Amino acid sequence: MNAEEMIGREDLIINRDGLGQLVRDWLAKDKPLAAPKRIKDDLVQYALCTDFDEIMLDGFVHPDNSIKTFLFPRHEKLYHYETDELGRITLEDSNFGEFSQLLLGVRPCDAAIVPILNHVFNWDLKDSFYNRRAEGTVIIALGCTTCDANCFCTSVGGAPDGVAGADALLFPTSDPSVFAVKVVSEKGAHLLAKYCAIGTAAPKAAAEVPVRFDMDTVHDWLKENFESPFWEEESLSCVGCGACSYTCPTCHCFDIMDEKNGLGAGWRVRNWDYCQGRQFTLHASGHNPRATQGARQRQRLTHKFWAYRDRFGTVLCTGCGNCIRRCPVGLGVLPFAKKICELAKKS
Amino acid sequence: MKNREEVVEKLRASAREMLSNKTVDVVIGWGCVTPEQTVATPVFVKSPDDVELLDWNEKCYGNLAAYMTRKEVRALGRVALMVKGCDEKALVVLRRESQIDPSNPPRVIGIACDEDGLGCAKCGTCDVHVPRFADIVISGVTPVPENVPVPAEKRYERLSEFMKQPRENRLAFWMKEFDRCIRCYACRQVCPLCYCERCIAERNKPQAIDSSATPRGNWSWGITRAFHLAGRCIGCGECTRVCPAEIDLSLLNLSLANAAERSFEGFRPGMDPDREGAVGAYSRGDSEEFIR
Repeated sequence: MNAEEMIGREDLIINRDGLGQLVRDWLAKDKPLAAPKRIKDDLVQYALCTDFDEIMLDGFVHPDNSIKTFLFPRHEKLYHYETDELGRITLEDSNFGEFSQLLLGVRPCDAAIVPILNHVFNWDLKDSFYNRRAEGTVIIALGCTTCDANCFCTSVGGAPDGVAGADALLFPTSDPSVFAVKVVSEKGAHLLAKYCAIGTAAPKAAAEVPVRFDMDTVHDWLKENFESPFWEEESLSCVGCGACSYTCPTCHCFDIMDEKNGLGAGWRVRNWDYCQGRQFTLHASGHNPRATQGARQRQRLTHKFWAYRDRFGTVLCTGCGNCIRRCPVGLGVLPFAKKICELAKKS
Repeated sequence: MKNREEVVEKLRASAREMLSNKTVDVVIGWGCVTPEQTVATPVFVKSPDDVELLDWNEKCYGNLAAYMTRKEVRALGRVALMVKGCDEKALVVLRRESQIDPSNPPRVIGIACDEDGLGCAKCGTCDVHVPRFADIVISGVTPVPENVPVPAEKRYERLSEFMKQPRENRLAFWMKEFDRCIRCYACRQVCPLCYCERCIAERNKPQAIDSSATPRGNWSWGITRAFHLAGRCIGCGECTRVCPAEIDLSLLNLSLANAAERSFEGFRPGMDPDREGAVGAYSRGDSEEFIR
């Protein structure tokens, strides 16, 4: 089948064997492939896989991390520096070789980060580190037939069978060995052409994710309540860690550090940063414009639902629910958004 | 949970009383949970009219002693704190380490656990199901049961099993565990004894520990944290519960506890309020020659 013809068709299927072949062929080229994988009894993560059997295509709601780590890694070396005996400094860029990876079994709320993050990484400077990875990545998403109480994609414009950011979407059917396929991009078509077939299979019902809050209400309330006592009150229980930000698919703050490797040499690196910590926005003078936990929670919520949206036209949240699942004390975007909507209703 | 409703009623009544007669300005306790919630969110109750927010249920995992050293919480005034028997050990260490103002100590509302506790791994070897020093102890059972000692072999069973493996396997295990660390510091933030104003992991002049989530950075962080908690960790297991990468920090903590108990005449952090800490206190009985 010609690749262009595949895009948008409603009658494509792939069976498990075809998918297994696709995975083996990809791995045979020695290119990285990441997919949901069971790491421990209670832990499923998107992780590098070396065998089709490791890949989980059902039996989980959302992995405990996000695909962000494969597009914007937790640690990236930007360049190497070295000083010789005369004090002359040599800089060497990180190696920008060919880059190609496959992300398979990606939840729609993870795939959706690509169009969202593309904005911020191409807004003033073109971030070559991010772009190189995003361009070299093929995302085969996997639609959801189940959800939990923390899922809220439908409240932020997503859907359990959404295709945003994906190159193709697989959806489970009544036959466990067959997936319905929706090809979205040329990248997806080229990858799948050899393994897909025309056929019919009844897709299972998509997960019914209720709309849990109104994001316009949240946006408007945030804009008008920057100094509300709500923030300090509701943030007392926040312990100030980065579990929400680091398991969030869209949080993208980073810190630039020098990491020494012997005397006068080392790497300039960038590492993930998180807004709930005491060091976030701490100035060299000692002043911190986000000095309290309340101010930091407000920062997180306003960035996601007001600032990002007003600047780029999209909220910085895909409703994956990881911030709630992984919060040590049961906070996260959803409880905050719900409370904000209650307050907005009262006023 | 035995007579849960009765326990909840009693704890709300004591909170109401303390807030009404102004003995305290805030009661810190666990909140109610919906069936979907995996943990009870801590609540800060400032008015006797709000005590219904307080609860006791199977998801009251948090060690609320961690809030005692926080700036925002100190600013609230006089505190009443709800603790389980295990959490209470943290208060003992905090007091020893002068982290609790003796002129303004918290009022402590202790809640006794049932025999199986909250069903966590730590609960199986717990010998402080009933808080020992709290101002009030609320129990679902009358009379309040006695704590039952647990022999060391049982408390360290998991560690002994692990130590049977050859050194290389143990090293490989920890390399794999720490490789997943993303440096979110949830372990540190929930720890009642990680109260440093500025953690060494955040110092960058000079940088002692790479902030990078690399094998070098994660190894430095994991080991430094362990060393700093040696002889201090009370084994509440909160760090392990909250780790988004499910790193088995409890096993490492067990090793610290074991070292303290073996090397310092049966010392167990938080057990005896009259005993000096294992580290930070000089004793002529210390085995190290160089210190004399």
